[in-house]
Amino acid sequence: MSVFNWLNDRFNLAAVQKFMKKKQVPIFYGTVWYYLGGISLFLFIIQVVTGILLVLYYQPGAATAYESVKFIVGTVEFGWLIREVHSWSANLFVFFIFLHMFTVYFARAYRKPREMTWLSGFVLLILSLLFGFSGYLLPWNELAYSATKVGSDIAGAIPVVGDFFLRLLRAGDDVSGATLTRFYGIHTAIVPLVFSFILAVHLIFIQVQGMSIPPKLEKVPKEELKTMKFFPDFVTKDFMAWLIVLNIIALLAVFFPWDVGVKADPLAPAPAGIRPEWYFMFMFQTLKLIPAHVFFMEGELFGILVFIIGGMIWFLVPFLDRNPHRRKRTNFWTYFGVVVVIYMIVLTVWGYLV
Amino acid sequence: MKQFSLRILISVLALSFGEIQGQSSDDACFQCHLEIDEDMDVSVMENINNDVHILKGLGCADCHGGDPQAFDDPDVSMWDSEDFIGSMDKLEQVQVCRKCHSDPTYMRQFTVSMKTDQVAQFWTSQHGTLLKSGDNNVASCSSCHGVHGIYPVSDPRSTVYPLNIPETCAGCHSDNDYMAEYDVKTDQFEKYRNSVHGTALYESGDISAPVCNDCHGNHGAVPPEIEYLSDICGTCHINNMNLFRDSNLSRIFTETGLPQCETCHGNHEILKPIDQMLDLSNQPNCESACHVDTGDIGVILSKEIFQVIDSLKVTMIHAQGRVDVADQKGMEVSELFIHMEDALKTLIQTRTSIHSFDIDHIKSVAQEGFEATTLAIAGAEEAINEHGFRRKGLFLFSLIITVFVVVLYLRSRISS
Repeated sequence: MSVFNWLNDRFNLAAVQKFMKKKQVPIFYGTVWYYLGGISLFLFIIQVVTGILLVLYYQPGAATAYESVKFIVGTVEFGWLIREVHSWSANLFVFFIFLHMFTVYFARAYRKPREMTWLSGFVLLILSLLFGFSGYLLPWNELAYSATKVGSDIAGAIPVVGDFFLRLLRAGDDVSGATLTRFYGIHTAIVPLVFSFILAVHLIFIQVQGMSIPPKLEKVPKEELKTMKFFPDFVTKDFMAWLIVLNIIALLAVFFPWDVGVKADPLAPAPAGIRPEWYFMFMFQTLKLIPAHVFFMEGELFGILVFIIGGMIWFLVPFLDRNPHRRKRTNFWTYFGVVVVIYMIVLTVWGYLV
Repeated sequence: MKQFSLRILISVLALSFGEIQGQSSDDACFQCHLEIDEDMDVSVMENINNDVHILKGLGCADCHGGDPQAFDDPDVSMWDSEDFIGSMDKLEQVQVCRKCHSDPTYMRQFTVSMKTDQVAQFWTSQHGTLLKSGDNNVASCSSCHGVHGIYPVSDPRSTVYPLNIPETCAGCHSDNDYMAEYDVKTDQFEKYRNSVHGTALYESGDISAPVCNDCHGNHGAVPPEIEYLSDICGTCHINNMNLFRDSNLSRIFTETGLPQCETCHGNHEILKPIDQMLDLSNQPNCESACHVDTGDIGVILSKEIFQVIDSLKVTMIHAQGRVDVADQKGMEVSELFIHMEDALKTLIQTRTSIHSFDIDHIKSVAQEGFEATTLAIAGAEEAINEHGFRRKGLFLFSLIITVFVVVLYLRSRISS
């Protein structure tokens, strides 16, 4: 009796096998975008694996965090590789989630019946940003310390709940060892738990509803639509994409290692060139450019409100786009998306150049 | 009398406009001297309001005597008073200052830790000795501290604030005519200004740098005796002093009457020591005094010391280069930078240790530096090799992945 048969007797694996063989993936000009979600998933798996390995040596705390990161990078066998892969895959993780989101947006794949898939995906994006924000502080170097201070200040400026958020994030009035411990908990327990749950929901939605195709292809009879089998054809190609991404990570890890930096000193003046992670740069640069006062409110508050409202619009776009099934490729929401993408790119580049 | 009343009126008007503050309105001396000050050769009232004594509540009469309440009659306020002293000579000045500044009980009310031995020290100084012998040209209290308008020593405007002391002393000691009868050189200030101490004071604004009084004393200023020189320099350079005092060379210097630190480093124009000073041909004092022969023990020793220091420096430069290479490759080398800091610390200690003039001691001090650089070099080489290993590993990994991807691609093409 094979292992498969043994398991099949107990868990009916044949049904899963049948489902996978039966499942078809459409082949058209946009098939390549289907791989972005899979790559994001792969990067999350890398994050989990390398994160667990780092936890074996990392010691949270103002007196130990920086030293333990140096120990990991300098002394632990292949510790440098694990940290580099974790750091690079974290950045690629956010990058591919953004890319995945924009392709879904411009393909209007959020339309009925996939509204909930869009909503869960948006929450996953927010959680991935929280992953990045909380993880950035963990090496406890001066840039991370200052950036966290600035970042949490911005969170503190949110109307009504800002002060609560600020204290919740910092575990006190200022960024300190207590903040580091809290961020460690957020980064390694709270966010992974919530993320894993929502990810599971997101994946179930996709498996249940299948891949979205462009509105104009929906009119084509099913038998005329070119497809490939999910298993093994699509899975093989997905796997190839994962391997290519893995190769890129290895390349980046060896040729562009992350500097551990200088240990954070709460009493030292803030270093020059404080900047957040690249995915927060467009927001950071916007807040820098906004005048001190806009209308009747403070500029920073105005900027935060704009981002909150913008984020809510983006989140609710499946319900705001009244006619997503139109075959016409462009409508208001397409232009809106283009403006958002251009704005994010320009402000990010601007932030790095200034 | 009418004219006197007019003066009072003018003075009162001036006071009402706030030109003079504090207790001056209660003091008859102020009221008259404010006006007649303009007619005097030296304006005694200039800056009087900033004077530390006035600010502490003292008045003119506390030094000059007289009756400061006699507003109507100058004779009563000055000449009729038995304790009135007008213009003072230097000896009288010292006595007047002494009244308060040598009284610990009185001075304690202003500053608990204030010294009260200034006058006692002054009488032991060259200035005091000459003054006592009747020379009224030498410095007394006001020569350095000023007269009316004396600031606290801690005030940067004070003539005896560390940054101002060299120029205060130079006021007399750089004056050829003034110093002619004393057979004292007048180039000290110019030399000092170019010295390592003067540079620290004037260019870096480092008021902890030694100025004239740190070596010569202030109230008890005397030319330093040869046998006490290392004590003076050793006040700050304590390790150098201890090493030299225990050295064989110290004994020889004392026997031959050579000054200690000064023989190699000079006095007022002490330059930043460089390793090349160990070449005795750069040391005219050594060459002309004793170490003429190239086979001389001193010449051989100095060469050996130079070799130890130079060898450590060369090793450090090499180690730093290798550490920098490893750092530029993105390797984690912060530990190696600590080794380099240790080596630099040892180099400084080795330079200090040469004052023992004991080659075995110097070598033993330098040894720690060699060990630190050895660790740095070994760590750097390991990091550079590790970087090479990572690249090879990456190449192998990429090759395997690429082959795997190509195989998967071909397989999927065939199956489709």
